Amino acid sequence: MAGGGVFGLLGPNGAGKTTLVKLALAIAFPTSGRARVLGRAPGDIAAKARIGYLPENHRYPSHLTGEQVLHYFARLSGLRDPERSRRVAALLKRVRMEGARDVKVHRYSKGMMQRLGMAQALVNEPDLLILDEPTDGVDPVGRREIRDLLLEQKERGTTIFLNSHLLSEVERLCDRVAILKEGRLVREGNVEDLTRPGGSYEVRAHHLRPDGLAALRAAAPGLVVPPPGPAGTGALRPAAASDTVLQLAGDRAALNRLIDALRAQGAEIDAVLPRRQSLEEVFVRVVGEGEP
Amino acid sequence: MKLAAILIDTARELLYRRTLLVYFGIVTLTLLIFAVALQTDVAGGAIASLRIFGVQGRSAPGGMSFGGGEGGGAGLSAEAFVRGMQLAVAFVLYPLGILLSVLATASLVPRMLEKGVIDLLLSKPVSRPALFLSRYLGGLLVATVNLVYLVGGLGLILGLKTGIWNGGFLASGLLMALYFACLLGFSVLVGVLSRSTTVSIMVVGVIYFVSLFVRLPHQNADWPLLITSPAWRLGTQALIEALYHGLPQSYDFGQMAARLILRQGGVAWGTAFNSALSGAGALALATFLFARRDF
Repeated sequence: MAGGGVFGLLGPNGAGKTTLVKLALAIAFPTSGRARVLGRAPGDIAAKARIGYLPENHRYPSHLTGEQVLHYFARLSGLRDPERSRRVAALLKRVRMEGARDVKVHRYSKGMMQRLGMAQALVNEPDLLILDEPTDGVDPVGRREIRDLLLEQKERGTTIFLNSHLLSEVERLCDRVAILKEGRLVREGNVEDLTRPGGSYEVRAHHLRPDGLAALRAAAPGLVVPPPGPAGTGALRPAAASDTVLQLAGDRAALNRLIDALRAQGAEIDAVLPRRQSLEEVFVRVVGEGEP
Repeated sequence: MKLAAILIDTARELLYRRTLLVYFGIVTLTLLIFAVALQTDVAGGAIASLRIFGVQGRSAPGGMSFGGGEGGGAGLSAEAFVRGMQLAVAFVLYPLGILLSVLATASLVPRMLEKGVIDLLLSKPVSRPALFLSRYLGGLLVATVNLVYLVGGLGLILGLKTGIWNGGFLASGLLMALYFACLLGFSVLVGVLSRSTTVSIMVVGVIYFVSLFVRLPHQNADWPLLITSPAWRLGTQALIEALYHGLPQSYDFGQMAARLILRQGGVAWGTAFNSALSGAGALALATFLFARRDF
């Protein structure tokens, strides 16, 4: 993983995502193989000083307030006053926790815990930020706040390693992703490349003949059309025929045959769009259907 | 500074759970009782009369006398009285202090090893042994402060009111802190192995009773003759000796503390060293296991 940008790690439950993170931080040890983090062995104290980490289901000492938690972890990161106090105050403000700074953490809601967790992970101004399910249990507003915070960090030049089940979040944030399955890396690349259009098109057309569906299907077998009209007729509903979005899974030749068939029926074509896959579709294909 | 942060947090955690605060309160109450109930009259640099819990002490040729006749010759000397008071307090509050300290600190390691807690701690730039030992020292520090508060406070009150200063009492408190350090070594070892507060407390309790139990056969040279089979006799003897020397010697610590308070002898260094070694061994093993474990 190169420095800078946001890297997403995806995989089904039990794929080994959290284990990989633990290996990188020397929370667990490898049975074989070798790892390097920031050019050093995992567990190296100097490397850890440059890492911020938010584990899944993180817990803080219940006897501490939010502010004390940040001071505690800042001290563990080697920060001294007045710099420590300055950063703690700034982070409490940034994650909108100033009002709860003196509240014991056992009174915090899930969303507050996640925000505090983010602040904790950022307290040492890390070069590498490792986040395990940072938006887990957070409401949509909270998710957006966390996303904005991560984008800020990205702008700052921090390398972010994001481990999440929320594929839409990953797709929005990440530059590169990797998919793990049963402990093995099965796919890796830029989000742009993985979701690149190819083999799938969307055709918007007007004035289709309701009874012309069979001819269109004959020309392009990968055609997906709106629900048909009354059972058994095999025809389009009148409304659908007047303004239709057709989806085609096929190559360029199939697309051209479909366009020819539409033109032959007198239909008017509004647009032909190459269709981009979502990361979720890629993920399901790779993990669920075992696509290599 | 990182280690200080863990020490301070450990102390905070222990105080938050209030078990040791209860002990602190009991000690404070004891000190207040002595401060209020003990009254002395000093004349010409010496105690002319002394009154404690309503008992009047009088100046006598050999020192202060209590409970004797008008002449005071058959009474108890003030020095003996003060040491007796200190021994009585130690008899009650040392075991209570050790017990509450064991109960309070047994959760230090299991709580640290909980999922979501240990991950965060291990991600920080602190080595595993330093993290673990700081946690141990934090627990030991709080227990020691409580014991020092007891012996220091009571020694000071009695010293100021009677002019009798007993360094042996302070030494006995520190000896108890050493004994607790040994028990805590075993407690954290069990904590690493079991991740359970309850199991830690139970095992420390078993260690305490076993160490008391094995002292008798260790001291009595004739008991192996009760076992007729030579192999069994040898095996049992070896087991008894291994347990006696491999565990903190609870009874001997109590005896040493009493002797120190009464000024009837010093520390049996062999016993203290032996127990310290067993506690240090348990702590070293616990640290090693913690440093090697996957979380």
